[in-house]
Amino acid sequence: MAATTDSVKADASEAPLLNKVNLWAGLMLYLVFYSFIRWYEGVYGWSAGLDSFAPEFETYWMNMLYIELVLEVVIASTLWGYIWKTRDRKVMSITPREELRRHFTHWTWLVMYGWAIYWGASYFTEQDGTWHQTIVRDTDFTPSHIIEFYLSYPIYIITGVSAFLYAKTRLPAYQEGLSLMYMVSVIGPFMILPNVGLNEWGHTFWFMEELFVAPLHYGFVFFGWAALAIMGVVNIEVAALTKLLKKDLA
Amino acid sequence: MSASQSAVRSRAEAVQVSRTLDWMILFTLFTAVLGGYHIHYMLTGGDWDFWSDWKDRRLWVTVAPIVSITFPAAVQAMLWYRYRLPFGAIVCILALMLGEWINRYLNFWGWTYFPVNFCFPSNLIPGAILLDVVLMLSSSFVLTAVIGGMAWGLVFYPGNWPIIAPLHVPVEYNGMMFTLADLQGYHYVRTGTPEYIRMVEKGTLRTFGKDVAPVSAFFSAFVSIIIYFLWHYFGRWFNKTDFISGEGI
Repeated sequence: MAATTDSVKADASEAPLLNKVNLWAGLMLYLVFYSFIRWYEGVYGWSAGLDSFAPEFETYWMNMLYIELVLEVVIASTLWGYIWKTRDRKVMSITPREELRRHFTHWTWLVMYGWAIYWGASYFTEQDGTWHQTIVRDTDFTPSHIIEFYLSYPIYIITGVSAFLYAKTRLPAYQEGLSLMYMVSVIGPFMILPNVGLNEWGHTFWFMEELFVAPLHYGFVFFGWAALAIMGVVNIEVAALTKLLKKDLA
Repeated sequence: MSASQSAVRSRAEAVQVSRTLDWMILFTLFTAVLGGYHIHYMLTGGDWDFWSDWKDRRLWVTVAPIVSITFPAAVQAMLWYRYRLPFGAIVCILALMLGEWINRYLNFWGWTYFPVNFCFPSNLIPGAILLDVVLMLSSSFVLTAVIGGMAWGLVFYPGNWPIIAPLHVPVEYNGMMFTLADLQGYHYVRTGTPEYIRMVEKGTLRTFGKDVAPVSAFFSAFVSIIIYFLWHYFGRWFNKTDFISGEGI
């Protein structure tokens, strides 16, 4: 490509800086998957999810719980293992263009993390409020919890840890040590999952259907604040990208 | 510097890369803030926000602004102080309200069949505009806390008044007088419906009649100022770019 032109077309042989197919496929994957889950809830929540002692509850809900837990462990270990195993051992000697390409891949992971956080912390968590204001629970593993706590939370945890591992293993900007805010933005929302232990213990100890603002839920609030640490990650990224682009944008 | 040492091939490509990254950053910030802010708000002020029979003149007016000024203060600490972008509060509120409206339609109504005019979210947009405008004009987080935080608390009830007023019309039902919102709650029974669990207009302030909402709004505005200061510093902490050693972890 002539250096004098302003064309932004990439060389035919070169991989694009941003793989848009991956980005859109990832976004659509979560959208379609969660749309299916929402349909499943709508149908089998009412027809098979009201009485945990009924045989159909075991068929439609407990089996779903078992399947999703196994799949999450398999996917997490495979994905995290792959990212770690294929790490770049000479990360400080990559070209600026390769570094920029990796930042785009990293941002694809971060977009997916934000998207997964939306579904977990916003969509399925507030949904839990209306389900438990409607149906008195007779188990910790309600249809709403099987989706919210044991599906949508693990999915954002898997996505967030993958983004962190990608940055740590492939980007020069993260080789100084461990980014404090990156860890907060991944570990904080992760801690919402163990906090489910407190939630379930409290719900079985005090009958409290379903006061959402009850102090029992404040653990979720505290760890939800950690999502703000994404601001620190953005600041690190902006500094790194500015280094790469500043002279060309001047 | 030779062309091979540059990350981009031309200025046009640099501009395109920058714009694309802007959108990816904005999307991630929007959705992450949405998730964190929504879980915070629904679990600290949620019940007042979920149901019209909780939207009273006293505790709704007091609690909702206090617990909702948090994330806007923190995000302003990033977007204004680092990037001079004057829309930190409005980004937060648009994110929160998008998440809420999707939920109220698809889940409160779509899954458990509560009518939307019973479970609509509170309107927080007027306060967010004021908070951003005060920060943009003053460039001072102290003035934003004092003037913006005060405005945030005071404008909440007027900002919701056109929506809630028709539901606060008094009605008589089986010899009892209550509001239309209470009648909605009476018909749409929830597991949290009983009066011992519903926190609505407790105390004697209600006997003062017309003064309930202004007194509550003023108190809320006072606490909102303090919370703004606190969360501004939380926001600064969350903006850190520090690295720590991996040893011992």
